[in-house]
Amino acid sequence: MPAHLLQTTAVAKAFGPVVALRAVDLSVAPGEVHALLGANGAGKSTLVKILTGVLRNDGGTVAVNGEPVVLASPTESRAKGLAPVYQDPALIRDLTVERNLRLTGVDPALVRRELAEMDLDGLDLDEQVRDIPLPFLRMLDLARALAFDPQLLLLDEITAALPPDLSERVFAITRRMKQRNRSVLFISHRLAEVREHCDMCTVLRDGRNVASFHPGEGGEAQIVAAMLGEAGAAVRDVARERGAAGDRTGDAPRLVVRDLLIDRQDAGVSFEVQAGEVLGMAALEGQGQDRLFEILSGNVRAAGGEILVDGRPLRARHPYDAIRRGVVLVPSNRLMALLPQRPIRENIAIPLFNRLRRWGPINMGRERRQVQEAVTRLSIDTRAAAQARRLSGGNQQKLTIGRWLAAGFRTLLLFDPTRGIDVGTKHQIYDLIRELADGGAAILLFTSELREIALVCDRAAVLHNGAIVAEMPPTASESDLLTAAHGLEVTAV
Amino acid sequence: MSTAPRAVAATPLPRPSSRANRFRRRQGWVVGVALLLGVLVFWRYSQIPAFGPFEIRGIVAGTMTLALLAMAQTVIVISGGIDLSVGAMMVLSNCIAARLMLDQDLGPVVLIALGVVAVAMLLSGLIGLVAVVSGVPDIVVTLAASFILAGLALVVLEGPGGGTHPRFQELMVGGFDQPLPSLLWLAGVLLLVWVPFKRSRLGIATYAVGSDRAAAFLSGVRVGRTRVVAYVLAGFFSGMAGVVTTAFTGSGEPRASIGATATLTSVAAVVLGGVALMGGSGTLLGPVLAAFCLSLIPPLMLGLGWDPNYAEVARGIIIIVVVMIGGLVQVPRRSR
Repeated sequence: MPAHLLQTTAVAKAFGPVVALRAVDLSVAPGEVHALLGANGAGKSTLVKILTGVLRNDGGTVAVNGEPVVLASPTESRAKGLAPVYQDPALIRDLTVERNLRLTGVDPALVRRELAEMDLDGLDLDEQVRDIPLPFLRMLDLARALAFDPQLLLLDEITAALPPDLSERVFAITRRMKQRNRSVLFISHRLAEVREHCDMCTVLRDGRNVASFHPGEGGEAQIVAAMLGEAGAAVRDVARERGAAGDRTGDAPRLVVRDLLIDRQDAGVSFEVQAGEVLGMAALEGQGQDRLFEILSGNVRAAGGEILVDGRPLRARHPYDAIRRGVVLVPSNRLMALLPQRPIRENIAIPLFNRLRRWGPINMGRERRQVQEAVTRLSIDTRAAAQARRLSGGNQQKLTIGRWLAAGFRTLLLFDPTRGIDVGTKHQIYDLIRELADGGAAILLFTSELREIALVCDRAAVLHNGAIVAEMPPTASESDLLTAAHGLEVTAV
Repeated sequence: MSTAPRAVAATPLPRPSSRANRFRRRQGWVVGVALLLGVLVFWRYSQIPAFGPFEIRGIVAGTMTLALLAMAQTVIVISGGIDLSVGAMMVLSNCIAARLMLDQDLGPVVLIALGVVAVAMLLSGLIGLVAVVSGVPDIVVTLAASFILAGLALVVLEGPGGGTHPRFQELMVGGFDQPLPSLLWLAGVLLLVWVPFKRSRLGIATYAVGSDRAAAFLSGVRVGRTRVVAYVLAGFFSGMAGVVTTAFTGSGEPRASIGATATLTSVAAVVLGGVALMGGSGTLLGPVLAAFCLSLIPPLMLGLGWDPNYAEVARGIIIIVVVMIGGLVQVPRRSR
């Protein structure tokens, strides 16, 4: 019997110019619950997709039970004994559960048996998937994966959407797998779970495996250190040499959020942003940040709570309402915010039309002047000006900010503005953010790169499970931020 | 470092939806369209002194083509596409059939009919293949295909002409006052082709692909193959529609405008029949019933003494009103 149930050697994957995996060596022994860890974007989900035949690796090999295998489709991967539960539910919403099962060629009786073992036999498989709440869909995904009787179960953040009692049932399953000498590859941001239930862990960073150890030994500190690497420490010094950032006037805060319910069950989000201040927000994936920004920008309505802009309540029914009050959003998906087929000039001028709000023809001269101002100020590379989609990611991001510059704003919501942007442009954007804040704008910055908190923010708030769980100075260490983001208490330094 | 004590509150199982609710959600629209059809039929029935087999035959046989085209369109829409070539496919099948069937005996005529349907399946499958392989949106590929097919129809038959065997006509659409054959054909196609397909894994895959291509792929569905199969099935229905047209009119008619109008009417029937244009939901029965509703409108207006030229206006209004009401009644609370 080979020592490793699953072994990957130098697995690599790139999406165009973006390298997701550089070289990953991962070994999972039989009867082992193996945690795969890493910060957002470290390549965990990409690896899972390669192992389950959704994506093809560009380089490296995958071996199951010592034999090299080619996993060309989800079906083939399952035939090799690898069954996944993906991060997002993979059940089709328009079909009943039973039809979903037949689609995958699973005997519903087997799934019923698995559900019964999890004490969930009350679930009606004749129900349409769209009518079943998310946690139970995750459990159905799990039961379906188990029905294949896999040698290796891949769980990609299954517990993120589960309440504690259901998570506990998942761990009962992992224990059972272990007893039967089967293995589990377990991905989670909840380090406590990893420590308690996993035998080994492999940490990915920037598309490489940087450490493998027993998670119980070094404790969470070692895990966090491996996840962040030295990069975190090195850049810190550059951070903030500016003094106690901009003496804040005693004015009323620009943006006040009180008990805002992102989801009905949540505890509610409360925070304030002053004029001239950058509030950084840190969170693990799926803590409600996407929706929070959508609510603030008027795209989605909150389940409850209150937003005050300049002391007056904002009840936006449409982004138009928020924009009129000077609250503007720069979303992470740049192409969503831009008109990809249109020239730079029009992209910048769109919100401008709105603001001028005049009847009749648009004053082209004035438009051109304002657009030119924004372009110059942001040093947008205008060589590919004819179509926004041909700009580089960094220039596109500048464009999404630039159009609000031209239109004027008072509160800026930035959602992960530097995602997938090269370092040089990142720093230009950091400078711009600071400049805007010093000019009196209130800025809320969500970032998945924790070091940006130290680089550009005046304060940090940590979001966990739809609530702000901690507020910290920007000098807070990344491990403190990460610990808080995991919903754990930060021990006083 | 403190690990909070685990809350042991058990998450309650979701309450299963009631049978009535489920029925309303899944069959509500079809029932609604059936009721509308019932009202229209009754109305028509009360308009004329003798509503007998002759009238029924007229309605059923006259609607068969549209009903079959609606089926073809439905299959593609369920799989997440749209097929703008169904009408042209019908016209082409009609022309091939009429040209070949002229002055033949019944035996060869039946064989020709089968052959024509097979050719339509092949061509439609080819269109689907092009759409899948090229990655060009269905709407573009099928629109282009509709021009090609319409052109081919003119090659096959330069002008109205051709013919068929009178016995074959009776067999397909019934004689003068015999509604049975056309009813049986429609019911037969629904029960013998559609129901088994819908229950098969392939049928489920078709719904899955239309509902969420990515999730279907993750479930192990071969997305491309499923879409091509949907086109083949649509070809079967539109080929049948062409054969039925031949039997009903006893000739071939290559005018391209017939195909274009038929395509648009098939989309109307699909919408009125409660099939979401987004794909992934709906049945074949709804659009068939809707096709009957749509084709009852001109005779009804005639009976009322209105100018039947306004029939299209009435159709348009009915579609908007029905879809609006349906949207208000059916759309569930905003999910997610």
